Amino acid sequence: MTQDLHTEKMVINMGPHHPSTHGVCRLILTLDGENVVECEPVIGYLHRSIEKICENRTYAQCIPLMDRFEYVTSMSCNWVFALATEKLTDLEIPERAEYLRVIMTELNRIASHLLCIGVTGLDLGALTPFLYTFRERELILDLFEMTCGQRLTYNYIRIGGVSQDIPDEFIPKCREFLDIFDEKVDDYEKVLTENPIWMARNKGIGVISKQQVYDFAISGPSARASGVDFDIRRDDPYSVYDRFDYTIPVFEGGDSYDRYRARVQEMRESAKIIGQALDQLPGGDIRAKVRAMFKPKAGEVYSRIENSRGEMGIYLLSDGGKKPVRVRARGASYNHLLIIPEIIKGLKIADLVAIFASLDVILPEIDR
Amino acid sequence: MNPAELTAYITSNFSGQLETVENDQAEPYFIVPLSDLVPFSKFIHDDPQLELNYLMNMAGVDTGEQFEVVLNPCSLVNMQRLFFKVVLDRGDPKFDTVSNLWAAANWYEREIWELYGFEITGHPNLKRFLLPDDWDDGFPLRKGWVGKNVIPLPEK
Amino acid sequence: MELYPIFGWLDGLLEKVGITGPTADLITLVALAAMVFGLLSLIALFLVWWERKISAHIQQRFGPMMAGWHGVLQTVADAVKLIQKEDIVPTLADRKVFFWAPVICFVSAFAAYIVIPFGEGLIVSDLNIGILYIIAITTFTVISLLMAGWGSNNKYALIGGMRSAAQAVSYEIPLVLSILGVVMVAGSMSMVDIVESQSGWGGFRWNIFFQPLGFVIYLIAATAEANRTPFDLPEAEQELVAGFNIEYSGMKFAMFFLAEFVNMFTVSAIATTVFLGGWNGPFLPSWIWFLGKTLAIVFLLMVFRWSFPRLRVDQLMEFAWKVLLPLAFLNILYVGVFAKWLNW
Repeated sequence: MTQDLHTEKMVINMGPHHPSTHGVCRLILTLDGENVVECEPVIGYLHRSIEKICENRTYAQCIPLMDRFEYVTSMSCNWVFALATEKLTDLEIPERAEYLRVIMTELNRIASHLLCIGVTGLDLGALTPFLYTFRERELILDLFEMTCGQRLTYNYIRIGGVSQDIPDEFIPKCREFLDIFDEKVDDYEKVLTENPIWMARNKGIGVISKQQVYDFAISGPSARASGVDFDIRRDDPYSVYDRFDYTIPVFEGGDSYDRYRARVQEMRESAKIIGQALDQLPGGDIRAKVRAMFKPKAGEVYSRIENSRGEMGIYLLSDGGKKPVRVRARGASYNHLLIIPEIIKGLKIADLVAIFASLDVILPEIDR
Repeated sequence: MNPAELTAYITSNFSGQLETVENDQAEPYFIVPLSDLVPFSKFIHDDPQLELNYLMNMAGVDTGEQFEVVLNPCSLVNMQRLFFKVVLDRGDPKFDTVSNLWAAANWYEREIWELYGFEITGHPNLKRFLLPDDWDDGFPLRKGWVGKNVIPLPEK
Repeated sequence: MELYPIFGWLDGLLEKVGITGPTADLITLVALAAMVFGLLSLIALFLVWWERKISAHIQQRFGPMMAGWHGVLQTVADAVKLIQKEDIVPTLADRKVFFWAPVICFVSAFAAYIVIPFGEGLIVSDLNIGILYIIAITTFTVISLLMAGWGSNNKYALIGGMRSAAQAVSYEIPLVLSILGVVMVAGSMSMVDIVESQSGWGGFRWNIFFQPLGFVIYLIAATAEANRTPFDLPEAEQELVAGFNIEYSGMKFAMFFLAEFVNMFTVSAIATTVFLGGWNGPFLPSWIWFLGKTLAIVFLLMVFRWSFPRLRVDQLMEFAWKVLLPLAFLNILYVGVFAKWLNW
């Protein structure tokens, strides 16, 4: 029997409404049975033209727009825009504000990683860890609500400082959370890390090589899982990150499993940073004096911070007026989605889901 | 290398014409002639002293007077940053692709092509992706763009 | 409690009214079918509620709480809602195939109960090929899933249907082989004979004590047969949205849904009959023992579902052919040698 069976490749439209594309992303898949032959991402379903709108708003009005740029870690988005603007001014940021920024952003990083890990479990059919991670995420969101009244789009970090001081009960509540958090991470690890099915589904899947990290500008935990020891908090320092003692987990495998482990370790490190920041938290002002009609110097700047997904950057061009001339927001997911067609070839449709989840692609960041 | 050394190294080792811009940021800032975009990119990407192998950001800019393309490469090996831009011809905005050096530039350039209408020579896949497929309403990020369906605010 | 006295009583009643012969037989059979159907529907409704409760408690939630005591009436409410739903058939669907798929699924799930002994004497018909009959009839479910996948004219549904066919063919083999070990010991394929061969010895004659490997193989293969996580690939929500039943709504969906839970109860009932001594047990009535053991297995399957991630399709096949199948043969070898030696 040498005669070949006549088979056809099947083109399947995954999304825009699909439970595991984390937003509205459409992937045009060419399948050979269960194997993915080709994958073409189609984005733009969430395009809100934030960059264009920013050009018609004053700098202060841009901050709430940045909340929508990437709504899972709004704190980072606020911060990166504020940071870019502050680089074009001579503002002295009060120390307390810097510490509050660090605390909030690290809490936000934990919340985002909890979402990612829970959703990765969900995408691989493990429905229970999702609820566990959301249990702890809720505690963090409560802290945010206590501070700025919002649970998703915080608009907390402003140009020159933060919008308001933390209430008195914040610090004990936050410490309470940090005390239980390490045990809770152990819980997730018990359910997932050593689970043979979890390992079988994630190990060796979607391997990103070091060279690909450089070429495709992969950043954050996804890059560190591929053995690239790079963290903007340490290598391009901003704010007061040089005052904390923390390690940056680096793994060598580059597969989904290592990306997952990098995230878990990062949560523990973030908790350490928050603990130290709470210890060192100085008193004083929370905001520099910023005039109502704020105007930075003319100039251009690219500022970046380490977001939970990777590098988040703002390119800002100012002509000294009250509105920015050009704002470009750069999100890590943009590059992470770009690499998926490269690493998915020959794998199964179920692996696509695992890779998509482990790279933690969030669509608002891509479409802007 | 600190920014000053980096500037000196690049200006002395690159054969083309470079214009250095003084600024108070942490990275050196160059304006590269349009014709030197690809050679310069290749130089900073491949030079063993620089190895700017990671393209953080690439953006089209319309300052109102001129079209520019801004590139922000950095190195994950020795953690250096660079800032350079090319100024395009306003009448015929066009530049060569750098996506064969930095694969990440693929989508950055696609976005510039789509939203600014700069022509990109040699790009592998110029297809609309942020705007609808049947978009025929100009290039929204250019200054002074008014879409067909834009209703202006009433004058105060 | 036995079925045959009820039959006799019903026959007597009919005779008094003046109905005899084939008509009376027919009425008795219909009454019997209605009884089994009613019982199973109740069990399925209970299982749906129970699964929701178990999953909720595993995930530190409450689950349904509003309808009735701790939400016991929730599934009834859901069923009523599903019955009221509009029946949507996709325009390009193959209407006949699309219509018959849930019917076949439902019927084959229920038909298995003809030979399941709910207790001593509580069996509709003790066929001498009982276990073979069950295996044959439950396989019809696969055909229905394939029909649903094909008839829906949806690519996700098609992949789901194909997956279920591949999966069922693979897992049927270790499943049958693991049961074969028991049949070799019991020397009969009748369900009643199998149960009776396990009575005595103070409960230590259950097959699970002699063939633990067989039991484990059966349990794994049965999880795959019932399409439960970690083997729920035909309806993998995250990859295939819902697999074969993506286009189904209303009552047809309810039929698939109920059939899934009935199937789960079936595989647990077989496990009880074949490995856990069926109705055998001291003090309590036999049907309570049967029900208790079966629900314990169901509980186990539910805990599986809420603690494991899903396997990938090639890993699933590899596991069936490279691990379970050799082990099942090993089990048969072991049973053959020991059955001869110990003269069970």
